[in-house]
Order: sequence, then structure tokens, then C-alpha cells
Amino acid sequence: MNTWEFLYNGFLVALQPENLIYALVGVLIGTAVGVLPGIGPMSGVALLIPITSTLTAGTTPEEAAASAIILLAGVYYGAMYGGSTTSILLNTPGESSSVVTALDGYQLAKQGRAGSALSIAAIGSFVAGIVSLIALVFLAVPLSEVAIRFGPAEYFSLMLLGLCAVSGLAGKSMTKGLIMTVAGLLLATIGIDNVSGVARFTYDMPILYQGLEFLTVAVGLFALGEVFKTILEKESNDGHIVKIGRVTPTATDLKDSAGPIARGSLLGFFIGVLPGAGATLASFFSYILEKKLSKNPDKFGKGAIEGVAAPESANNAASGGAMIPLLTLGIPGSGTTAILMGALIMYNVQPGPLLFDEHPQVAWGLIASMFIGNVMLLVLNMPLVKMFAKIIETPAKYLIPIIIAISFFGVYAVQVNTFDLYLLIGFGVIGYFLAKHDYPLAPLVLGLVLGPMIENNLRRALTASNGDWSVFVTHPLSLTFLIIAALWLIIPFIMKLRGKNVVINEEG
Amino acid sequence: MKKISTALFAGVLALGLAACSQKPNFAGSGSGSGDYPSRAVTMVAPSGAGGGWDQTARSISKVLQESKLVNQSVIVENKPGGGGAVFLAEYATQEAKNDYKLFVNSPPLLINHLKKEGNSPFGYTDVTPLAQLTKDYGVYVVKADSPVKDLPSMLAELKANPTKYTLAGGSAPGSMDHLIAILPAYQSGIDAKKLKYVSYDGGGEAIAALLGGNVDMIATDASAVGEYKKAGKVRVLAVTAPERLGGELQDVPTLKELGINHAEFTIWRGVFGPKEMTPEAKKFWDGKLKALSEHEAWQKELEAKGWQSEYKNSDQFTAFLKEQDQQVLELLKALGMSK
Repeated sequence: MNTWEFLYNGFLVALQPENLIYALVGVLIGTAVGVLPGIGPMSGVALLIPITSTLTAGTTPEEAAASAIILLAGVYYGAMYGGSTTSILLNTPGESSSVVTALDGYQLAKQGRAGSALSIAAIGSFVAGIVSLIALVFLAVPLSEVAIRFGPAEYFSLMLLGLCAVSGLAGKSMTKGLIMTVAGLLLATIGIDNVSGVARFTYDMPILYQGLEFLTVAVGLFALGEVFKTILEKESNDGHIVKIGRVTPTATDLKDSAGPIARGSLLGFFIGVLPGAGATLASFFSYILEKKLSKNPDKFGKGAIEGVAAPESANNAASGGAMIPLLTLGIPGSGTTAILMGALIMYNVQPGPLLFDEHPQVAWGLIASMFIGNVMLLVLNMPLVKMFAKIIETPAKYLIPIIIAISFFGVYAVQVNTFDLYLLIGFGVIGYFLAKHDYPLAPLVLGLVLGPMIENNLRRALTASNGDWSVFVTHPLSLTFLIIAALWLIIPFIMKLRGKNVVINEEG
Repeated sequence: MKKISTALFAGVLALGLAACSQKPNFAGSGSGSGDYPSRAVTMVAPSGAGGGWDQTARSISKVLQESKLVNQSVIVENKPGGGGAVFLAEYATQEAKNDYKLFVNSPPLLINHLKKEGNSPFGYTDVTPLAQLTKDYGVYVVKADSPVKDLPSMLAELKANPTKYTLAGGSAPGSMDHLIAILPAYQSGIDAKKLKYVSYDGGGEAIAALLGGNVDMIATDASAVGEYKKAGKVRVLAVTAPERLGGELQDVPTLKELGINHAEFTIWRGVFGPKEMTPEAKKFWDGKLKALSEHEAWQKELEAKGWQSEYKNSDQFTAFLKEQDQQVLELLKALGMSK
């Protein structure tokens, strides 16, 4: 049988009435999980595993496995669709992968364009979902070979490139952007160092052993920071209402978003394939890329539709990409895929090199169901946009308590301790003062994500090479990334020297 | 209209699901005499949802209730933080008498208490071991096309040049994978401090690093490598079990067969109660967990999860932990990482 026949048979599995229902239930719950902060895709999937095993009882093991994974995967990519909603409307990212979406999404919402932002996010997610599935069908095996070749040296150079790209997030002043990046890298060192096992900045408090939770910091800086701002500056809390404009995106929005969605889908997919990189990084990278490519980068951070289209496409594509190492190698690239893998093992289906030979019904049924699930999500989400967009019309005096409640609930649900709530408030205050004095928040958050990856991969690479730094330039892929990073930094200077009017640093 | 009703249905369903998984828990501190348990019991997984401890706690709770071994409900609660240390600090100090709160753990309970960095101030002596329920073993794995054919020859090369090979595992130095990785080398008289160990974020990433040729050998759980061996991607050099395992790993020698003594390491999972548990409650769980381990539904659950059954009662388990505690201490000392 060739790929098409396998895919056709997969659709036969996925189109069985009960599997259609499982896919529908999965994406519905996924959307809810994505919208509600606190219940991330990971805990959502984990909590549903026992329920799916009850639902699928009574069918053959192979059918049960296919149905269960169809439902659970639905939750996984459904959550990626839903994750943008609170980011855009309330500046409260529900998942780490939708932190970047808040940058421009919330600005759009404030301008009354929440409807456009939400529908572009849904359309972007849909396109990205389909692109990554097509790539999954045809490129799974060759890509998985490339993905495992990605060693510590390659990761390090890629992350370094990401760090250079931070200039794209810096806002007006590069100096302030760099200060925030370093602050993020420093905060990332808290906890037990994964390479040496040494506890750093923990002061013997077990609560700090695992470092600061990324989501707590992000929600504090963005959501609570904004809350404090609204309260302290009495900006709009006298019942002033933001009007929503049209709900559907304009033709211009669609035209502006087409490129970012396409690039975000591809970039997100390839980053998703790399184990350990993940959707969060994909969303950051695609945002930075769009800003770099944009003709007027100034509008990013002030409500650029591209700033929503790109990261939302990228995080969805990344979740599709992450299925490749999971299915073909049995290597979970993220926490959520690790749980999906656990679920498959429960049904005696071992993801790995033999999955497609031994359990074609499960593997191809899942892939086909993801096509169907993505269509369902688009159909479901477009009407929901109208409903959600109304949230922004809520007067601030009601909205603010809701944001506070959602932030606290969300953080507590993930961390289950009061320490993180204090941390949340602390970062809220810090976020307020930083934003007030024009310090960009995004580089800090990016530093926090990249810090451990840069450090761990640097040291892994050096341990393996006995301290020989040349590993970074002798590996061709690693060298390529380093060259791109260098060009990224050097080209603007050269262009400036040649008299071109390029903004490097407005403060001079 | 139809869409709205579908959305409503989904909402109700989601709520229902959430309600099922998070029942109200009014359990306070332990009550006096009477028929234990007189109310719901909490089973804590000191990690987030989805990990090994969480899955074990959920399986135990499910089988205990479905098989009607326990008439009260058994609620699973996640208490993440510090690799279990956050929960344990609270449990050992504030809930030492709470008969209604049990927890699940594995060798990190011992390791975290003994290691210097990231130390957990409390250990197994601050709680009451009730039963061991499952077992797994460490395995030493190289890539299928690796020049390393067997463990003794690798150890001989490492003896001559301890930095010749890069070892890896899925957790930080001083934690379980690291200890397992250096175990045969240490028992063969190689200076464990000189060996190169690279840590990855979880066993999955470690296997990826091995398959990608970025490390030479990894130490990981026996239950995780069967499929890779079957697919011909890896070679398993040895297992830390007292005797050979079955299934895919039946031709893998034990360390003892290879002439490396005192190198058994069991990755157990077990249930613990508070330190000052009442004799009544302790007796209750000793009996119930034994009954659980013999129950058909539990065997089925284990099979579904790919876990192996091994039951030890409270006394046997405590004695075993004392032994493993010594072994862990010895290994950490060899690494210069003990407290």
C-alpha cells in the first residue's frame, strides 16, 4: 500500500460515526481547555485519559486505541486554537505558547478589532493545522531522521540565533530590550541546574528547586501588570466601553495575514519537529521573523494583525510537527505529547519505529481524524468569535475582577501552591512599573524560555566534546545558524554605514 | 440553534468531567478511633498530572474503588514542586498524624534526601512505608551501530580513559538516572567523578540523543527500551535486575552475570502514609494494599500500563528501603554529591 491508500484507510477509520463524535468531543473540550487558563493542554489530556478508557470499553483493543487517541489528540490541538482567546481579549495568556499573541492581540482588542484578531487566529490555526498534517503525512520519516541528528551544538546555535532575534521584540530602545533579556536569562537560572545538579538561588527552599514557572511570570507581567495600570491610572474604569467593530476580518486583514500564516505554519512545523523546542519557541520565532520582514515594523506591538496571525499559526503547526517524533520515534517532544504517548501505551500501542507497521489503524486513523478535527475547529470557532468578542465590551469595573480571578485561578490550578500566587502579584507589580517606564516585557519572557535551553545545550555539547569549543563550527547545521545569527546582527550596521536609514537604536 | 446546543452539551460535559476528577475534599487532620476509614482518603502524587507518580496514584485509586476493596472514595491530588520535596516538607511537618492522606513515591524519595544539592530535608524515615507495588530496572543502552559490543569491554576502556565515552540519562546529575549510569563503573573500581554524564530533560530526550549519535550510552528504565530494541535501533548491554527479564529483553544479561556484583537497582513505586499513623490505619492499608496487589483488576491495570508487579508489605518494604538507602548513599559519596 502506498501513502494515499494508507491515508484513505485512515479516513475510513476516522469517519466512523463514533470516531467522528470522539473527535468532536475532543476538540470541544480542547477549545474549553485552551480558553480557560490553568487547565493547559497537558493536564487536560491527562485528566481525560481515565475517562476515555471507560468510554472505549467494549470495543476491540485496536479500535479502542484509535478512538481514544483521536479524542485525546483533539484536546491537544483544540487547546492550541482556544489558547489565543484570553491572550487577545484579556491580555492573559492561558498557555505559554500564546504569550506572544497577547502582544498585538490585546492591542487589537483595545482598538475594537477583537473580532478580526480572533478570527484571524482561528483561520491561521486552521491553515497551519492542515499544512503541518500534509507535511506529517509525506515527510514524517525523513524529518524524524533529521530531528534526531539535531544535537546539543545545533540546539545551542539555534537558541543563540533566537536570542539575537530578541532585537525584534525590543521596542523603542535596544538598551532596555537587552536589559530585559538579561533579566530573563538571570531569572531562568533559579532552581536546580539540570547539567551539574547544583541548586542555584534556591536558598534551600524546596519550592524554588524547579525554578520559576514560566506561566506565572508571564501572566503576572502581562495580565496583572495591565490590571494595575488600569487601576492606578484610572484609564478606563468609569464604565467606558470599547466598541467592537466588525467580527469578520476585513479583506485587508486577510491579505496582510496570508504571508505570516504561511511562514508561521512552515516555521512552526519545523520547530515543532525538534524534540524539546516546542510551540512556545515557535510562536516567538515566527513573531520575530514577521517583524523583521515587515515593511513597517513599528506597528508591531501596537496592534498588527500579522503579530497575531504568525504566532497563532506557528504554535498550531508546532503541535502538528511534534507528532512526528512521537509517532515515528516514540520520542515525546513536549509534556503533552509525553502524556499522549502514555495513553497509547495504555492501549498496548507503543509509539515508535514500528507503529506504522504494527498499528496502521491507529496511526493513520489519528492522522485522518486530525484533518477532520481541524475543519470542525474552524467551523466551531468562527461563531464563537462573535460571542467571545463581546467580552471586550464589558466595562472595566467588571472586567478587571474577572481578569484577576482568572489569573489567580489559572496559576493556582497549575502550580497548586500559594507561593506562586505571591510570585504572580510580585510580577504584576514589576510588570506595571516596567511597562510604565517603557521596558519591553517580551524579551524578559523570551529570555526565561531560552535561558535553560541555551545553557544546558552549551554545556552538554562541551561535556561531550571534552571542552572543545570547535564543535559549534564543525557541525554544518550549527555553523549555519551561527552565520545567520552573525548576519542578523551585522547587516543592519553595514546598511547604516552605507547611509541607509535603518533603525538600530533610537537612543543612539 | 444546533450549534448552541452542541456548545452547551460540550460545556456540561466538560464541567461534568472536571467534577468527576476533582471531588470535594473535606479531609482535615486524623480523627480518633472508630471505623477507619470513615471518610474519603486522599492519595497524593507529589508531581503534576501525567507523570509516573500521578499515573500510579490514579491507577491505585481506580482499582481500589472499582474492586470495592475500599468503600470510601480515594481521591488523587497533585502536589507538584521540587521533585516531590515541597509536598514532603509540608506532609512530614503538618500532617504527620493525618491517617487520611497517603502518597506515592519512588527512589527519588531516598536520593533527594541524601544528595547535597537540591536536598529534601525529609526522607523515608519521616513517613510510614506501607507497600511496594511495582518494579522496574535500569538498563544500559547503546545505539545499534555502536562500536561498543558489550559492557565489560566498555568498562575496561573507561578504566583506561574515563572520558572516552559520554553517558547520558533523563535527569540531573545526582539523581536516579545518573546513579544507575555510574553503578557498574563504580563497582568495577572506576572513579565515578571522572566519568562524563550529560543530563537530558526526561528519558525520551535521552533516547533521542542516543539515536542521533550525540551520546554514547544511556541509562534508562527497562520498560522504555523494548520497542527500540525490537525495531533494531539499539543494543541493550545489561540490566540491573537480579535475574533476566522476560519479553523483548530476555537475552540481555544482568550485571551479576557479567561479573559485576552489588549492582542491583530496583526502580520501585510504592505507597506511604504519615509518620505517626495510627496502628489501626496502618493495619488497614497493609491488608488492603496486599489485597490490591493480588486483585485481578490490578494485574490488568499493570499490564495496560506496561508495569511489573512486585509486592512488599510494610515491614519488608521498610527493610528494603534501608538497604537501598545505603546503596544510594554509597553512590552519591563516590560522586562527591552526598550531603
